[in-house]
Amino acid sequence: MTTPLESTEPAVQAAGSADDSPARRGTLRYAASKAGGALFSIAMVIVGTFFLFRMLPGDPVRNLAQGRNMTPAQLDLERRRLGLDKPLIDQFFDFVGKTLRLDLGTSYEYKRPVLDLIGERIGPTLLLAGTGLVIAVSLGIWQGTRAGWRHGTRFDRFSTGVSLVLWSVPTFWLGLLLMMVLGVGIGPIPGLFPFRGIESVDAPDGFAYVLDVASHMVLPCLTLVAVVYAQYLLVMRSSLLEEVGQDYVTVARAKGLRDDDVRRRHAVPNALLPTVTLVFMRIGFVVGGAVTVETIFTWPGLGQLFYEAVRVPDFTLMQGTFLLITVAVILMNTLADVVYHILDPRVRSA
Amino acid sequence: MTSLAATRRRLALSRFWADFRTHRAGLAGAVILLVAVLLALVAPLFISENVTSVVEGTGQKFAPPSLAEPFGTDESGRSILLMVWWGSRTSLLIGFLAALLSVVIGLVVGVAAGHFRGWLGGALMRVTDWFLVLPSLVTALVLAAILGGSTLTIVTAIAITTWPSTARLIRAQTLAVEARPYIERSKALGAGHWHITTRHVLPNVAPLLLASTTLEVASAIVTESTLAFLGASANKTSWGTMLRASYDFGAATNAAWWYILIPGLAILIVVMAFTLMGRALEAVLNPQLRRKA
Amino acid sequence: MRKWLARFVALGVAVLVAGQGTTAALAQEPAAGKKIFRVGATQSMDSMNPFLAVRLVSTSIHRWMYGFLTVPDPKTLAPSPDLAESWTTSEDGLTWTFKIRQAKWSDGQPITADDAAWTFNKMMTDEAAKTANGPAVENFETVTANGQDLVIKLKAPQASMLENPVPIMPKHAWESVTDMANYDSEKYPSVSSGPYIAVEHKKDQYVKLQANPNYWRGKPKIDELQVIFYDNPQAAIAGLKKGDIDLLGRMSPQEFEAIQNDPNIEAWNTQGRRAAYLQVNHGATTTDDKAVGDGHPALKDVKVRQAVHYAIDKQKLVDEVQNGLAKPADGSIVPPMYKDWFWEATGEEKVTYDPAKANQILDDAGYKKGSDGVRTMPDGKRKLEFRFTIHTDTPVEDKLAEYLTAFLKEVGITVTTVKLDSSKFTEETGTTGNFDIAISGWSVNPDPEEVLATHLCSRRPAPNGEGGGTESFFCDDTFEKLYQDQLKELDRPKRVELIKQMQERLYTQAPIIAIYYTNDLEGYRKDRVTSITPIPEDKGLLYGGSGYWPFYTVDVKAAAAAGASGESGSNTGLIAGIVGVVVVLGLGAFFLTRRRKSTADERE
Repeated sequence: MTTPLESTEPAVQAAGSADDSPARRGTLRYAASKAGGALFSIAMVIVGTFFLFRMLPGDPVRNLAQGRNMTPAQLDLERRRLGLDKPLIDQFFDFVGKTLRLDLGTSYEYKRPVLDLIGERIGPTLLLAGTGLVIAVSLGIWQGTRAGWRHGTRFDRFSTGVSLVLWSVPTFWLGLLLMMVLGVGIGPIPGLFPFRGIESVDAPDGFAYVLDVASHMVLPCLTLVAVVYAQYLLVMRSSLLEEVGQDYVTVARAKGLRDDDVRRRHAVPNALLPTVTLVFMRIGFVVGGAVTVETIFTWPGLGQLFYEAVRVPDFTLMQGTFLLITVAVILMNTLADVVYHILDPRVRSA
Repeated sequence: MTSLAATRRRLALSRFWADFRTHRAGLAGAVILLVAVLLALVAPLFISENVTSVVEGTGQKFAPPSLAEPFGTDESGRSILLMVWWGSRTSLLIGFLAALLSVVIGLVVGVAAGHFRGWLGGALMRVTDWFLVLPSLVTALVLAAILGGSTLTIVTAIAITTWPSTARLIRAQTLAVEARPYIERSKALGAGHWHITTRHVLPNVAPLLLASTTLEVASAIVTESTLAFLGASANKTSWGTMLRASYDFGAATNAAWWYILIPGLAILIVVMAFTLMGRALEAVLNPQLRRKA
Repeated sequence: MRKWLARFVALGVAVLVAGQGTTAALAQEPAAGKKIFRVGATQSMDSMNPFLAVRLVSTSIHRWMYGFLTVPDPKTLAPSPDLAESWTTSEDGLTWTFKIRQAKWSDGQPITADDAAWTFNKMMTDEAAKTANGPAVENFETVTANGQDLVIKLKAPQASMLENPVPIMPKHAWESVTDMANYDSEKYPSVSSGPYIAVEHKKDQYVKLQANPNYWRGKPKIDELQVIFYDNPQAAIAGLKKGDIDLLGRMSPQEFEAIQNDPNIEAWNTQGRRAAYLQVNHGATTTDDKAVGDGHPALKDVKVRQAVHYAIDKQKLVDEVQNGLAKPADGSIVPPMYKDWFWEATGEEKVTYDPAKANQILDDAGYKKGSDGVRTMPDGKRKLEFRFTIHTDTPVEDKLAEYLTAFLKEVGITVTTVKLDSSKFTEETGTTGNFDIAISGWSVNPDPEEVLATHLCSRRPAPNGEGGGTESFFCDDTFEKLYQDQLKELDRPKRVELIKQMQERLYTQAPIIAIYYTNDLEGYRKDRVTSITPIPEDKGLLYGGSGYWPFYTVDVKAAAAAGASGESGSNTGLIAGIVGVVVVLGLGAFFLTRRRKSTADERE
């Protein structure tokens, strides 16, 4: 976790309030301008990635040899194959052209197209991160609502406390502890859940297979949820707190509405906005943030692939996964902005 | 005039303290931090870097906690207690430096973006937004791999990926401050950019900055440990590198639970303390939040 | 609120069902009655294509899948017939004729000399096919096939001809591959000639291999061999302890200690294939003898190198860095497990830990200690301050560096540690020569020619500073001559003698200083494996050994219909489900009561 707690403010709020007046623009135009911004960001990422990865120390081709005896002719061949013999500017245009055609190059280590490798890994990551996100968001919103609505109660103090503790814990540490306690088992307690991979080697077919995958998902998912749900809880809690003080809530209560109804019909829908935005903003991060969890539990996803690439180091693979994760985050952010714009009437008519 | 300002400041300070004292959790956090920082600072008076040296570590390997070694020993027979103590220096140093660097960048960019409307502000915000969306851990890992392992590179990698949120916060605050009428008056009286930003904007954003710095130290310490676990470290004993070593040398399978638990708890306690203090500061200093709570 | 509770209960039921599901899944395990042997690996496969694969796990799997011309004999490790049932050599040693065995590929096609000729010719003509084993065909002039006869003409004599590391590939299945560099060979079942056929590969998860019924030695005793990958070595150890896998090789000393006292695990501790040594920059040069790099001039003096050697307490390194699970090196780069080739220093020549003697040597050679205790060169210009280059992110090397620093401090030499990532490391210690002392190591094959060749003049980088593959920048006339002699020497005992002399030369000249030979540390489940033969048979290796013997001879208990592992699995599932439901219901009840109370408060 490297983002400050409770920073719910999506890009639109700060940018939109002072200098431009989105009120006069339609949602479509707004979306179009955001999309333009996203395209610009992606272009910047492509350019940045190229130069960033050219700064890596060492000759990538020599690294390919991995200490084996290679003749200069072989090295030259490899260099030509990777296009490293051309001047930097040519390499740059090559890179841009290929990237636009979704050709991310060939992995050094696996000798296969990076895009294929990513394609194989994206499914498990989406499964793990998606499930984790859904659970974390539901849990966070539910607990956050209860805590915020009756703030100061024991439940509030307890859940806020727990979430603060979990937020302060390094993900990998929690993962290792969970693996030890629930996976391997301690002393007389047997290990309860599998802690390696996405499925058993002799995985059964059909519905039993789904259950097999589900049981493999318990520990990585638990780790992921424990670390991220705190944020949703705290955001939900503080935005509900904000609503509780608003006049309309007082009015609704004064009208004699049941407490539950005031909460459910009036306060929560309004307080949900920042959380929903946060969800969108975090989707991309969850993909990248799964690096440690996937590594610990040998989960065959993008995070593991990226870590593997850093460790080798497999320069094209690293570059490709980095590019993909970043672009995913940018797109999700843009979506968050647009969703926020549509959902929050205050922003639209400010 | 000056004495008036001084009195005002003193008053503000005592009001702040009175407010802050009511946040018991924040107070506890502050006390824990004070102790932790003090311990880290005085460590060289009692121990030296030798406690991290494997050559000096002549104790029993993986010795469980005992009277002599309250937190047990590691795979080379070094004392976990002393290593955690010595390692706190690196962890806290990286935490503080990274937060400081991040806040300095964030402050400069945020104030500039808020103060200079027009194309400069717009461009700065574009850059900020761009950095904001970079997946932080992944980017920090790539940066650490490219720059190589030293305290400075880890600090840089963390700061580069965290400054944008500070910049946003500061910009919003700057906009709010500059909308006040007295700034207008000040401008009319011929105040320049420098005067306005340093004399009016800065004092007003400073409190908020303090709170956000505190929270950033917390996340920087966690990030440091995560980077160390993934293999990018400052090559000095820190809580992160200790956890990494406990993993490398199979503390879990050798049932050396103390080796995994102690450095992790150290991180947990200090990060918790920073977070509690940061939240309390935010509640006290952020007028918007104060109204709510 | 009630809705939330309902959802919560539903979640609990789902957890229970999931737990029960595992039970069901394991109860109807398709493996019942089959003999399955599961090997753990802490590395995943880089490629299924043997022309490209270089990782140990991949070459091991290919060794189980494909035949070679010869394999090391399980007793002596000397070359013995595999796909080639016999061979002859011409008088001048330049023409070798191999008679290929009458046998079948796993798809029923006959194995012919044409398959072998195609494999070698592919490597000689296609640069991409050289990726994995290029040097093995460098000395080949022509390779031709005639029925079952394979004729290889060499450019120069080569005694290690019988140690060819290239798996023979089926021409009929591989001929159509045009772009070798990008061919992943993920076709199942594979067309194999070895004891096993690959039937499934889930990337970074596992490889499944089945016994090859057409194998010429006869079908293996087990039905299925599974290689299961772990990203996390701790998880692999836990998997072995829990019985998820039956064998795990290549353990670190700490990992080995973790399984040592487990009653169900046979802890396997034998001499290994690997020698760890220090590479000393004694004046790096390119093949045209031009100096490269910025090595410390003092290390050009063989006396300084020897003094460094005397200053190193190898026993201490073994005890502290390897937890005693290694053998201090009194020889050179060939580890003692290769009894034939192993050479050890004795008598006067033997260097034992003796800092006094190291100091004496340096004093006599005129390296005087300054007031700060650090020595300077005889000309007084430079202090003896060496860099020690290690890899980033290798904790064992960090420890070694600390000890080396302490050892050399005793003799008035300052050491600073330089950490480089693997690509930079290879570059600086193998081509540019920008180092003083560097860590290195080599896993030696049954024929040590390959590792000795890494110290030849010709292995130094070319004049343009490229290529090569030197482990020391060594270039020594005596060593060169011995190397050329052993190439031509087809009489094994005589060749052994020459190779021992080469090791002695490396020992006394000290371009490299061997520090220890790490043990081969493995573990397997006693309760599952009924027999397994190591290679060599006498206290040899299991995983990572050369040849397929351990994995061909292994026998395990058949998986029972509701076997031990299944039962524990079902319990696990049940417990998981029950715990899940209890937790969920508990939390639900808690929240429900909390809710009642707080509403009551609210409505006061």
